[in-house]
Amino acid sequence: MRLPNQLLSSLLVLCAASLGVAATWGFEDATVSVNKRGAGVGGGFKEKIGQNKALSKPVTLGASETLKILLTTKEDNKAKRPHQAFLLVQDPQSKLDTSFAFQVKENGKGKIELTQKDLPTQLLSSTGPLDASLIIASFGSSKPYNGKAFDLTIELDSGSPLPASEKPLRYGKLPEIHHIFKSDPKSPPKIITLVFAAAVIAALPILLGAWISLGANLNHFSKAFSSSPIPHALFFSSILAMEGVFFMYYTSWNLFQTLPPALGIGLVTFLSGSRALREVQGRRIAGLR
Amino acid sequence: MGRIGEPRYAFDRLLTAPDSSATAEMGHLKKQVVTVVLHMQDARYKALRPDEANRGYKLTFESPKNDKLALFQHGERAFDHILLLPPKSKGLGPALTPKLLLQFINQNGNILLTLSADSPTPTSISSLLLELDIHLPPDRDSLVVDHFNYDAASASEKHDVLLLPQGSRIRSDVKNYFGGDGTIAFPRAVAQELGNSSPLLAPILRAKSTAYSYNPKDEAEVVEDPFAVGEQISLVSSMQARNSARFTVFGSAEALENKWFDSKVKSVDGKDSKTANREFAKQITAWTFMELGVLKVGRVEHHLSSITGDAAGNDSVAQLGYLNPTIYRVKNDVTFNIEVSEYTYDHLSPLKVDASDALQLEFTMLSPYHRLDLIPISQTPNSTIFSSTFKLPDQHGIFSFRVNHKRPFLTNVDIKREVTVRHFAHDEWPRSWEISAGWVWIAGVWITVAGWVAFVGIWLWSEPAYEQSKGKKMQ
Repeated sequence: MRLPNQLLSSLLVLCAASLGVAATWGFEDATVSVNKRGAGVGGGFKEKIGQNKALSKPVTLGASETLKILLTTKEDNKAKRPHQAFLLVQDPQSKLDTSFAFQVKENGKGKIELTQKDLPTQLLSSTGPLDASLIIASFGSSKPYNGKAFDLTIELDSGSPLPASEKPLRYGKLPEIHHIFKSDPKSPPKIITLVFAAAVIAALPILLGAWISLGANLNHFSKAFSSSPIPHALFFSSILAMEGVFFMYYTSWNLFQTLPPALGIGLVTFLSGSRALREVQGRRIAGLR
Repeated sequence: MGRIGEPRYAFDRLLTAPDSSATAEMGHLKKQVVTVVLHMQDARYKALRPDEANRGYKLTFESPKNDKLALFQHGERAFDHILLLPPKSKGLGPALTPKLLLQFINQNGNILLTLSADSPTPTSISSLLLELDIHLPPDRDSLVVDHFNYDAASASEKHDVLLLPQGSRIRSDVKNYFGGDGTIAFPRAVAQELGNSSPLLAPILRAKSTAYSYNPKDEAEVVEDPFAVGEQISLVSSMQARNSARFTVFGSAEALENKWFDSKVKSVDGKDSKTANREFAKQITAWTFMELGVLKVGRVEHHLSSITGDAAGNDSVAQLGYLNPTIYRVKNDVTFNIEVSEYTYDHLSPLKVDASDALQLEFTMLSPYHRLDLIPISQTPNSTIFSSTFKLPDQHGIFSFRVNHKRPFLTNVDIKREVTVRHFAHDEWPRSWEISAGWVWIAGVWITVAGWVAFVGIWLWSEPAYEQSKGKKMQ
């Protein structure tokens, strides 16, 4: 698999060179390894990275692990030290990125070691895997290299969570507020109210029915009116009118509109009442009730 | 810097563009004659002094070595704006100390500061920037290179002339005043890193992710510990102070030189293009010198929603005398209108707010009880009227309508209108029959009344039901 690829790339380089295109930067012998601190050599993950060929499976970096990349940078096929040999780590979602420089020797042998402490919290707290690319470039006309190397998955230590990074203040739209100091009082469902109101209203016919069954009647009506019609009419209608005044007070009148008619009607009730009640007393004395 | 007698900078042409008639009606631009201090050592630049500027600027060229140079006269600003070009000397002299420059900003003066990797930044400037949380590389010769985006025509070896697309939005909800399709050539730029804690800072132009800053003296062979890398490098940064005064740091003074205005550049993949430096410089100077992103508030009105009725507009409300009352009642429905314009180069235009952003109204007493998005309801040729209708909270007190609009690149708006909110009067509560839960009690009252009337009638006129003889009371 790797051999044809190398052949292909060297062919490409040859073609490029023959076409008079500038030299290109690249690398070889690149390995990425992840080791636990203190563990022996060869214990952890180790994989070779090919040029222009990202690793298919992600590289996982644990809390106490160290990611190490070794490579030899080349200009065309000659090992050479470039000015820029970076590992670019980017969060594909937020597009935040940062780079780490390789320690490269004159002969092109480069090394980088990375732990979680080196990565900024913004990248550590990213939800998806990070993109890790290799950038090898220098001055002059040689074509620079920038290719994805692998996906970097950060495995955070569940025991020691990330230091809480407070979101810095930025001017922008703020969430809407609809603060209700005291919400409106609520009524029960109307059907319940209506049932109980109906029960209350039904009490009147029941009361009247009870009275009638006990023998209540208006048989003395004509007798009362024939002996003293005006006091009886006035007394009863003044009682009705007083209820009317109460009704008006309930619906629209204020106290000052209510008191004068109430006093007037009260006087009528008092005067006519004494007459009407005297008539009632007369009936009692006559033995009629 | 610069050879004597060479008109390298094109500000005079830029700031005096012949196609505008600068009718500065904004408060900020009342002084129509705006002065720019070209802080340059080169005496020959005084020959550049232009005629009365069409864009409204009068330029004054001064050298820091001039003893008579003073930013303040009788305690007031002597200039509206300052454009600082990199000095040849090490320092900036006693007239341009960080303290005086900050005082200039505090008195609503705007500063465009240009840096250059060719001439070291004076320590007084670095410390001024540090106060604003803008960080420059510690070694003064550092410059930004990008091996993937450089001008192949002029910097094929050194890669220090960056080619960048014109600025993109810093956030999806922030208007982009520096956009365009053009390519900006950015030669020998000084990287800036912005602190993360200040909301007043905003990058205008950032480097690409492959760029980095290095010191050509110490790190000529290989860079192993770069000061700044990738998009964290801000090449043009802005700081808008709380008083809306603007301070822009421009990473490459050379990009403003005549030779980069409308010059030809070649990208790495061989595409030729013209630089958009002239347009970009116009955008930068216009923004810094308060020609862009300046908000003006017109009429601010509030009234009871119910009284507008079918009347068209608010004129009827004004005529009826119901506009801007000093007192409302709790739970009133109230309409609030505000007219906002934005100043664009030479005229006021209606403010357009991005769909993901909003002008917001707060109804506050100590803290906001309501924060609502204001909706644009109509437009005049030079303003937008925003409106919101809402129910006042069920709490009486002294409230205020507040529009506190702070956004990157826009001047701050903070409008407050105080109103009293009273509680219900005794006769404003809902009547008992409107409350369905009271129906049972109301029915009880009137049934009792009816029962009482019936009782009175029966008591007065009823014949005893029992036998007269049997029931006769025994005396």
